[in-house]
Amino acid sequence: MTGDALKGQEIFQATMHEAALRAAQGELPKDRLWLFRDARGRCLEASESGIQAEEVEIEEHEIAAWAPQQIGQLEPGQLAIWIAGAPEPQRSALALFYLDHFNHEDLLELIELKPAEFSKYIANGRQEFQSWLNASFPHEPV
Amino acid sequence: MKMPSLSRRQRMLVLCAPFNEQRITDRAMRAAVFRVKKADGFAHQQSFDRAVADLIESTPMPPEVAEWFTKETTVAPPKRTWKTIATNPAIVAIGIAVAVIATVFAFRLMERMSDFPGADTARKLLTTASSARPIMLDPIKTDAGALGDLFFMKHRLNHYDVPPEFADLKTLGCRVFDDEEGHRVAQIWVIEKRLQFFLFPAERNPKSGEVREFSDWRYVEQEGWTGVVKQKNGVCFMAALRGRERELTPYIAKAKP
Repeated sequence: MTGDALKGQEIFQATMHEAALRAAQGELPKDRLWLFRDARGRCLEASESGIQAEEVEIEEHEIAAWAPQQIGQLEPGQLAIWIAGAPEPQRSALALFYLDHFNHEDLLELIELKPAEFSKYIANGRQEFQSWLNASFPHEPV
Repeated sequence: MKMPSLSRRQRMLVLCAPFNEQRITDRAMRAAVFRVKKADGFAHQQSFDRAVADLIESTPMPPEVAEWFTKETTVAPPKRTWKTIATNPAIVAIGIAVAVIATVFAFRLMERMSDFPGADTARKLLTTASSARPIMLDPIKTDAGALGDLFFMKHRLNHYDVPPEFADLKTLGCRVFDDEEGHRVAQIWVIEKRLQFFLFPAERNPKSGEVREFSDWRYVEQEGWTGVVKQKNGVCFMAALRGRERELTPYIAKAKP
C-alpha cells in the first residue's frame, strides 16, 4: 500500500498498538474487518503526506501466457512500488486482492466498492501491469 | 479453449475471481468460474494472479511482524445471518419438502374431516363400479324405484330402496353380491349417463351395534369416479358415475323443494 517497508512496519505497529489498547479497555469493535480497515486508513493517511505518484495514462495490454515468467524477474519491492503508485481505490483493491487473505464479499466490504467497480479496477490493474511488464521485460519468443 | 459466452455479471465476476479456490465462497462466483475454468484467457489470468501473489508472498517480513500476522487470528469467520441460512439450497429444499408434506397432510385432513360413516365402503364400491360391465348384471328394464321390492322379495334385503331423486331413472340390470366384509350389496345399472347405484348396509358402532347416522347427501371421490351417498333406515344409497361432483348435483338439487 505504501511502497515503503519502513512506513508499512510503522503502520502495522500503530494498528496493533491500537488493537491492544482497545482490547485492554474491552472496546474492540464488532466489525470483524476493523483491523484491516484501520490499517488501510493509516496507509492512506501516510501516503497522502509523502511523494505523490504522477497521474499518467497507462496503456493496457492483454494478459500474456508468458506473464508469470515476466513477473518472476521482478523483486517484491518493485511490485510494491508499482501498486503503491496506483490511484485510490485501485491501489487498495490490488493490494488487498493479491494479499490472498479475503474472499470476494470481504474485499467489497473492506474497500467499500460495488462489485462492478471492484472488477473494473482489478481487470484494468492487471492489463496496465502487463503493459508495464511488456515494456520492462519484453518477451523474446524462443 | 475459447472463452464461453457469459452474462455481464458473470464476466464481471470472472475478472475479479480469486486465484485461490478456497477464497471462492460466493455461489454466483463459483458458477461463473466453473464456466470459464477451461478457457485459455482465464487460465492466463489465474497464472498471472498466482505469480503476483507468489511474489507478494516472497516479500521479506520482519520477524516481529510475521509473529503477529497470522491468517487465523486477523479475520474472524463471518457470522451466519438468517438471510444466508434462508438462501442455502439445502434449507430451501427442506422448506419445499416440508411445505409439500404439510399440503398433502392438510389435504388428507380436510378429506377426512368431510368424511362420513361408510365413506371407506363407498370408495371401495367406486372401485367396483369402475371395473363393472353390464354383462355382469342380470338384465332388467324398469324404473330404479321399483327394484326395492325386488331386493326385498328375492333377496330379503329390507329398506334397499332407491331414493326418489333417482327413482324414475330406467335400469339396464342389477345384481346382489357380498362385499369383502360379507355385507350384502345391491348394484343397479341405469341407462342415463351410465350411472350405477349401490345399496349397502350403513356403518354401525361395533360396541353398541347402532347405525352411525349422517344427514343429507355426501360426496365421495375415487380414481376419477364420484359418488353421492345418503343414508336412510340403516341402508346407504350411492349413485356413482365417472366424472365430477357437478354432474351429480342436478339430480340432488331436483329433489329439493
